Amino acid sequence: MNCFMFPGQPLTCGTDLPDDSDFRAIAAMTRDRAFFDIEGFSWVGNAATDNVKLQVFGTAMSLYRFRVLRRENSLPDFVAEHSMGIYPALAACGCLAEEEAIEMTFRIGACLARMGEIRRYALGCVVGLCREPLLAIAENHGVFMANYNTSRHFLLAGERSNMEAAMAEALDTGAFSARTFPCDAPLHTPLVGVIDGELREIFADYRYAEPRTRLMDHINQDCLEGVDLADFLREELQRPVYWEKTYRALRASGVTGFIEVGMGDSLKKYNRWIDGEMRS
Amino acid sequence: MPEELIDKVKQLIIDALRIEGMTPADIETDAPLFGEGLGLDSIDALQLVVAMEKEYGVVVPDAATGTKVFSSVRSMADYIAEHRK
Repeated sequence: MNCFMFPGQPLTCGTDLPDDSDFRAIAAMTRDRAFFDIEGFSWVGNAATDNVKLQVFGTAMSLYRFRVLRRENSLPDFVAEHSMGIYPALAACGCLAEEEAIEMTFRIGACLARMGEIRRYALGCVVGLCREPLLAIAENHGVFMANYNTSRHFLLAGERSNMEAAMAEALDTGAFSARTFPCDAPLHTPLVGVIDGELREIFADYRYAEPRTRLMDHINQDCLEGVDLADFLREELQRPVYWEKTYRALRASGVTGFIEVGMGDSLKKYNRWIDGEMRS
Repeated sequence: MPEELIDKVKQLIIDALRIEGMTPADIETDAPLFGEGLGLDSIDALQLVVAMEKEYGVVVPDAATGTKVFSSVRSMADYIAEHRK
């Protein structure tokens, strides 16, 4: 069995964009529903932040890659997602139309960006430390674990000054690397709860069809059903991504082939690390 | 630096990072491994740290050392030659 994995927000935009009818169709949808010109990497309507640009870009490119795979008669037995990869994953499973996934990404990104107008937040990528000392560091500085990617790769999120202090302590504690990235909102943490009402309203605006392909959630590793989706979408922005657990659960379900459907290859690299630990 | 160690380091990179369709001859000895070169990142760096320790008993203790060690295949081979047990 194979699994299509949809990654979250890319760190940068790609330089070599495709030029075919599928890409042009996705680009037109993105202009129409998210007011974003992929080719120019610029807003054509209401401007939002650079992070929202990357979020919309990431969804659009995942949708395009999925079209290419489908054109090649490659279809998934399972779908998994990481963070904002949930939106194109929903389209791949037939729960939403492609244009709805693009619009949802934009609306959620813009909603999250409003948090950044009030406080300054950052993400922190820590490589090399294991979970327990990092949990203690997070608690020391009032920040939160946002992604459990492998036994040695984590993402934290919180207010920027706290995150900088946490990253400094992570390095002092022996992390191989610890870097902060400015962000609009502390994704996958309880801090997002302050906009819970707005998120609920956005997700209530859509009708979710039953997934045509098994879609594994990254919180509890359950297969999502249509009726779960609006609540899951709201909840997942306030809870960590458990990628390692998700990958192990997919393996235990009999998945042997993994295809990353989007920009970059972070998920493939996390899987490589987890595989190494599973073998040893 | 013996060419044999250079070739072994290239093979270690290919094996540890599971780079498909690449042979040691495809990797330039002095090209940067991160960014423009092979395009490696911090996830790859930790994978190489573990592989070097397993294969040669060589420890890369922190990111600052890693930045120097992983600047090219030659710098990796130099570090291994100097520190291996």
